[in-house]
Amino acid sequence: MSETKEPLLDFETTGRVTVATIRTSSVLSASNVADFGAQVLDYVGRHAGLALIINFEHVDYLSSAVLTELLRINKKINEVKGRLHLCAVSKTIREIFTITNLDRVFVLHEDGKDAGVRRMERSLDVAASEAAWVEPKST
Amino acid sequence: MYGVYESFFEEEFSSTFDAMADVLDRAVKALIQHDCVPADRESCARLCMEEALANAVEHGNRADPARKVRVQLAAEGETCRIRVYDEGNGFRPEKVKDPEPEQLGGRGICLIRHYMEDVEYLADEHCLQMTLPCTPVGS
Repeated sequence: MSETKEPLLDFETTGRVTVATIRTSSVLSASNVADFGAQVLDYVGRHAGLALIINFEHVDYLSSAVLTELLRINKKINEVKGRLHLCAVSKTIREIFTITNLDRVFVLHEDGKDAGVRRMERSLDVAASEAAWVEPKST
Repeated sequence: MYGVYESFFEEEFSSTFDAMADVLDRAVKALIQHDCVPADRESCARLCMEEALANAVEHGNRADPARKVRVQLAAEGETCRIRVYDEGNGFRPEKVKDPEPEQLGGRGICLIRHYMEDVEYLADEHCLQMTLPCTPVGS
């Protein structure tokens, strides 16, 4: 029996930032969550230094299995020297991150992807400025 | 003194996540139909049941489709009792520590403990039991 994997996220790159929008809440069901993680990990693996925002605008519920996949993604992003933010995170979902102490691990934003892209761009600018100070050129 | 819980929902399923998702949907509907869950607590009840069922499938029954998970819902006065039975060796939820931030798994029990009034494993019954207070409609 052949098995075609439907894309569970839409990836869109604007400038230096890529937004991965989760298509529907059902993407994060117990049956699909491993595929969700695999699709994001595959994308991250092919884009070193990725500045990624995962967009939760269509998500109103998630379980701890999703948190596990997000942690895997976060670890991989760190390995390829990228950055990860989560945007359009509702109060209900933020609460789940807080209860599980993952609000200390992830950068969470309530506002949507446009604001998320601006924030990520700013954080990239700040990081670039800091790198210039840390590594002055010696003659 | 123990009240008399009246069971209003009971289903058994094979240890797969697809089967679990179907039963979870019906169980949540049953909680709502029996006024066990006010609207603002529906997602919390769903989350706790999903975590308990997923643990039963994955850890209790080792995701063996030949093994069964059973979920039972019962009510007594203003308390709803949720029991999840599996064929595993059991565990002690009070011994499960809240996970470290970077730890991949172990957050299901953390979430259940936060949202449910009482959580215990009944070794004689081979089930995880959770209780939550119901709020009658209109109050």
